[in-house]
Amino acid sequence: MNDAQEHGRNGPGLSRRQFLKGSGMVAATTALVGPAAPAAEADAKAPVALGPGPVKIQLTVNGKKMTTAVEPRVTLLDALRNYLDVTGCKRVCDRGTCGACTVLLDGKPIYACTMLALEARGHDIKTAEALAADGRLDAVAAAFVKYDAQQCGFCTPGFVVALRGALDKNPKASPAEIEEALAGNICRCGTYEQMRHAIAELCGKEGKGA
Amino acid sequence: MQNEAKKAAHPWPKQRRLIGTRVRRIDGPEKATGTAKYSYDYNRPGMLHAAILRCPHAHARLVKIDLSVAEKMPGVKATHLIANEGKELFYAGDEIVALAADTEEHLADALRAVKVQYEVLPFFVREKDALEHPEQKTVGGAGKSNVNRVAEATKGNVEAAYKTADAVIEGEYGAATVCHQCLESHGLVAEWDKDGNLTVWCSTQAVVGTAAALAQHFKLPPAKVKCITHYMGGGFGSKFGPDVQGIAAAELAKKAGAPVKLMLDRAEEITVAGNRPSAYGKVKIAGTKDGLITAYEVDCYGTPGIGNAATVNMGLLPYVYQDAIPNWKRNHAIVRLNAGAARAMRAPGHPQNCLLTECAIDDLAAKLGLDPMVVRLKNLPPNDPTAAKNDPTSFLAIRHSLYSKEIEIAAQLADWKKKWHPPGAEEGPIKRGIGMALHTWGGFASAQPNEVTIVISRDGSVLVESSTQDLGTGQRTVNALVAAEILGLEPGDITVRIGESQLGSSSGSGGSTTCPSQAPATLQAACNARDDLFAKIAPRLGAKPEDLAIEKASVVDKASGKKWSWKEACARLGMDQAKGTGVWNQKLSQQRENANISNGQVGGVQIAEVVVDTETGVVRCTEVVAVQDCGMIVDLLTCESQVAGGVIMGLNYALFEERIMDRHTGRQVNADMEFYKLGGIKDMPRIKVHMYDMPERGVIGIGEPPTISTAAAISNAIFNAIGVRVPFAPFTPDRVLAALAQKGGKA
Repeated sequence: MNDAQEHGRNGPGLSRRQFLKGSGMVAATTALVGPAAPAAEADAKAPVALGPGPVKIQLTVNGKKMTTAVEPRVTLLDALRNYLDVTGCKRVCDRGTCGACTVLLDGKPIYACTMLALEARGHDIKTAEALAADGRLDAVAAAFVKYDAQQCGFCTPGFVVALRGALDKNPKASPAEIEEALAGNICRCGTYEQMRHAIAELCGKEGKGA
Repeated sequence: MQNEAKKAAHPWPKQRRLIGTRVRRIDGPEKATGTAKYSYDYNRPGMLHAAILRCPHAHARLVKIDLSVAEKMPGVKATHLIANEGKELFYAGDEIVALAADTEEHLADALRAVKVQYEVLPFFVREKDALEHPEQKTVGGAGKSNVNRVAEATKGNVEAAYKTADAVIEGEYGAATVCHQCLESHGLVAEWDKDGNLTVWCSTQAVVGTAAALAQHFKLPPAKVKCITHYMGGGFGSKFGPDVQGIAAAELAKKAGAPVKLMLDRAEEITVAGNRPSAYGKVKIAGTKDGLITAYEVDCYGTPGIGNAATVNMGLLPYVYQDAIPNWKRNHAIVRLNAGAARAMRAPGHPQNCLLTECAIDDLAAKLGLDPMVVRLKNLPPNDPTAAKNDPTSFLAIRHSLYSKEIEIAAQLADWKKKWHPPGAEEGPIKRGIGMALHTWGGFASAQPNEVTIVISRDGSVLVESSTQDLGTGQRTVNALVAAEILGLEPGDITVRIGESQLGSSSGSGGSTTCPSQAPATLQAACNARDDLFAKIAPRLGAKPEDLAIEKASVVDKASGKKWSWKEACARLGMDQAKGTGVWNQKLSQQRENANISNGQVGGVQIAEVVVDTETGVVRCTEVVAVQDCGMIVDLLTCESQVAGGVIMGLNYALFEERIMDRHTGRQVNADMEFYKLGGIKDMPRIKVHMYDMPERGVIGIGEPPTISTAAAISNAIFNAIGVRVPFAPFTPDRVLAALAQKGGKA
């Protein structure tokens, strides 16, 4: 957040956050120029300038259409957590390393901290909360509970969502393929051994098309 | 009341239906589906976001601070100055000022608008630099140097022992400073109500202690401050109070008249919220040709950052062998640096002690041409017959037998006899190795009283309440399990309310004391609630209270043979309810009449197998066997999780983790999660956990011990593979190659 941390966490190069924030500034400049160039409005193909102030957006989260207003620099993760109170996706590293913020975007696992909220418009977003919809526990979450593949639980929604995404993509995935799919998630309590037990059961089950 | 205190506590039932079995977490579904609310997840109405501007220099004086621009930035609602002009700041991360704004975006802009002038001062951020300049002082507090030597301690005469030994070797061992890396960062949400009551949702290991610290800061009666921690995302010893950021958030909330959330970001979490201090040592060890260790000498140092405490456990070296080795000598230097202060981290001091002891033993065994397992068995501390007379279940009474048995089990599970070979004996560039290490820990009940209240309602529902916290250990489930055991119910039938400071007294979760405090307190509360139920319903059932007993989901009258379902029986409470309280602490656990309810001190043996690629230096750990005792196992499932998790934290310590400081800027260069490495699932070995159940000892804490010996076992396995010691963890490829090069490039 401050000079020391920006430096410490980003090194000499441009950070993702600075890049995102920088992008916001570019948009801001365009917006200022915008009104002076009315021709652009007529051209449907011209880029639309948004921001720098809050922009109204609608996101489809766990099947529900949710509306809020965010600055263009706001990530999908921050929009979900800070503006829409969808907190199953966690903020941990906040720069695409740990996977705690994993959500499904049109069924594909992504890091919500590395996507702008604006980019997620028009996509189907699913978070861990979707895995307990209708009061029924998803098989992945149930296996995590059964084998105790969670301790503090802060990384767990990210793991569960990533695993759900991998199994949806390939219901016959092998345990090794599932481990590959979870290589972008980090757990600090050390639940990987128990996670392997859960994966073994899920691969057995899902492999049989259950 | 005095009679009450002397009365023996309710013992554990002899027939156990649930205790010791695998019971799933009762809060598992909430965690796995993201519906469990952590402090970080609370979004209170009208809530502001806050953050702290920190000193970018390793050592500086705050010359001037100008908030005038920042205060006028859009969305800014309050500021709270932490460091005044003229203050000396001792590390890059030291707090300057906290701001609160309506959105995180506005907050980020406002932080950048704060103008600060610093006078940059000389600093040290690496141990060696400070050791080379003992005349210079760059940190606060008393003394004229960054280096403080701890008084030497000795037993016997090491010099004399060296002269008569068959082998004397010297080696260097140790490990770097590592960070807790709690996934939920430190911080809280603070909210004041119109009557001046403060509520915080804080990520803490000490719910009661955090509320008390805030009450003290704001000079409020404890009843006016409430700390809530229903779920928390990891602490590992680093979260015992509100900290600077918690107090700042509460101050900002007060000034702004609105709730404030202040959670550290990842870089802050790593740089300011604690770490396990480094320890590097020169060790000299001597022994006879049949493997008896006759002398051990260690001269070590490490850094607590701006803290000022020893970085090893100075009272316990040569670690578990201290009472067996006749001559030892130990020296330690505290090397203070301009870096974040150390905090307790999962078994503070022990992993360092274990490396400094266990690695030297293997090097000595190699010199003597002996199997290091044999050397360990020869030097185990003896069972103490005096202690056995006093309490045959005490650790002192059983430790030799316990370690011997655990080594035997571990060796069998790991196939030690087949797999162990003389160090570096394998041909080819890819080499396998196996290594062993031992550990110990306390895990007694806390000195502070832990209180549990149980209420049985007439609809048969059972509420278990305590202010204690569940760090992810499974404490909530353990309390449900114990209550269910006594009341004949299932854990899922029990409602557990914990993590609220106003639910009675409890202690912070440190030292593996929570389970041995809470499980016995829940046992007492459940037995007392049961007895209260019997007293109240017996007349209405036409029975005598003393004839009533609990069976599975029912109450029986042993005199008449009549039986009622649990719900039927509870319905007889009418408008009343049954209630029981239980209190437990270390003092109660040590009363003779309470033997076997809770205890302390454990052993533990781990064996690691590794594969080392001598061309790339990459170490892969393929299997870890962990044999662990913790007295009476309450929930086998979560207990095994603690052990496997401990092993994984130990593996990360051995292979990946290191706080890297830049001596030019004085900042940590890897305050993140991409260059501060933690293993993922593909880096993990197969982990075989063997719980050595000793129900006769009562409950003992398990959180810390299983992480202690993993790094030493891995170090020994690498030595066994390549025949040369890689001295300092993390055992990264560059260090492995450097060690091989020293040996002439030949493994």
